[in-house]
Amino acid sequence: MTGAQPLEAREVVFGYERDRNVLDGWTATFPAGAMTALVGPSGRGKSTLLFLLGLMLRIRGGEVLIGGQPTSRLRDRERSSLRASRFGFVFQDAALDPTRTIIDNVTETALYRGADRLLAASRARTLLDRFGVDVPVDRRPGEVSGGQAQRIALCRALLGEPQIVLADEPTGNLDPASSGVVVDALREHAGRGGAVVVVTHSPEVAVACDRVISL
Amino acid sequence: MTAFPMARALMREALLAARAQRVGSILTVALVASVIVAVMLTAGRTVGAQQAVLRTIDDAGSRAIVIRDDGGAGITTAALLRVSSLDHVEWAAAFSNAADSTNSLIGGGPSVAARFVYGDDTRTLGLPPDATGAYASANALRVLGLHDGAGGITLSTGAEYGIDGTFDPPDFLRQFDPLVLIPEPDATDQPVGMIVAVADSPEHIESLATAIAPLLGAIDPSKASIQTSEALAELHTLIGEQLGGFSNALVVGVLGITGALLAVILSGLVLLRRKDFGRRRALGASRGFIVALLMTQTGIVGAIGAASGVVAALVLLAANHDPFPAGAYTGALALLSFLIAVLAAVFPGVIASVRDPVKELRVP
Repeated sequence: MTGAQPLEAREVVFGYERDRNVLDGWTATFPAGAMTALVGPSGRGKSTLLFLLGLMLRIRGGEVLIGGQPTSRLRDRERSSLRASRFGFVFQDAALDPTRTIIDNVTETALYRGADRLLAASRARTLLDRFGVDVPVDRRPGEVSGGQAQRIALCRALLGEPQIVLADEPTGNLDPASSGVVVDALREHAGRGGAVVVVTHSPEVAVACDRVISL
Repeated sequence: MTAFPMARALMREALLAARAQRVGSILTVALVASVIVAVMLTAGRTVGAQQAVLRTIDDAGSRAIVIRDDGGAGITTAALLRVSSLDHVEWAAAFSNAADSTNSLIGGGPSVAARFVYGDDTRTLGLPPDATGAYASANALRVLGLHDGAGGITLSTGAEYGIDGTFDPPDFLRQFDPLVLIPEPDATDQPVGMIVAVADSPEHIESLATAIAPLLGAIDPSKASIQTSEALAELHTLIGEQLGGFSNALVVGVLGITGALLAVILSGLVLLRRKDFGRRRALGASRGFIVALLMTQTGIVGAIGAASGVVAALVLLAANHDPFPAGAYTGALALLSFLIAVLAAVFPGVIASVRDPVKELRVP
């Protein structure tokens, strides 16, 4: 990892409806090397904030900065490129492609980053071993348990050693053992200098984080 | 990643996506193949028949201009040189007036018209390039009693020639069959009974016929006549324009409907793949990548459909003993169908690429 960049939200305004904002002037900094939990009741915009930080949604006002650089005026191609190169995403339901093999799922982001597929596949195997995915890599996601699927999604998120990992309730559907693996992996990534942001309802996950931001 | 590995990666991704989306791929293959079969069995068959008719009309006989000395016009081989030098004259030769020829061995018997041929290219007549001696048509051999094709003839002038071979008279000489031809490539200033000029295409017949008349150098032009196959040339144009126009309109219509149908099918499939495209966008795929992926995926399947359609159509045409359209027509149809399939993916691709990835990811 080369000089992990902090992630920052400044006076962010966003709403799905024209006359109602979910976030109104929200500010926070997510430093490198720290794992931050976003907690709060449902409907407060935690996941929305995560998608805004991950440049999947466009803010109405304020700014999202990555490595100190503003992103609100970037074009789609540049935002996509940043998502592929700087971010790793873990979604609540794993969001794997059911038609593709496990190894294809893990290496998918390499395609968008323009990384070498064979090197990516080699690293993917290492990650799958490390996180205890003990099924053949040519199986489809439908053939593995929910816990294994989330570990596969975790491998996909960490494949490119991203500077920022955004996780949306990554342990929401997991048993304690799998939750432990996911949280440990995210902690480990933060320990290596990554900025990790986790949306969670789980007190155990929040406790494992360096910082907790309540919405 | 540079352009080539990126294109290769995109191709691999599209291939895998096409394999994964079997229903969509099979529908696309079936639609493109069906269109090609339908076009080939309707417009293609018409084109095949049209091309066969045009080939028949367009052979050397229908493009021939026959200049005849009806007796006393005074046309000589010098006129042949002038006619040959005209633009759009593909080939020309002059023929002497007919002289009676008989089987030399019999010394009498039935006679056959023999004509000297003037001109340096006798291949159009079905003779060898450097033909010497005499060449008889099959009918001439039969009349002369030269059943094995060997022997010689004696002209009414007393000159004798060995039979060096046979030839199949082209259309413009059929009326003179049975016939013996004696090539005389080096003859100069010889009187001729007939000059035949073949135009390079039927539409030039009329203008050539007009241009040839003053070049004949006839002493008495009223005794020279020029015959053309102008009616055939007009028929050629008529068939080419009317049948061709009908076929083209049909093909454009069918391909247009196919493109629209494919766009509808692909748009429906895009809706079914909302979560797939949403995930890709969220993970970093650009809008351009999504459009390119869908176009490449459809292109791969469309190419398979086009190839399958061409093979199926040719098999069906062969089974029905129908003429095949020209290779260029078939290739153009396959290419056009492929391009229509690729273009039909643009609209659904754009739809897929502009949808909100967050909403798509939340699709259950």
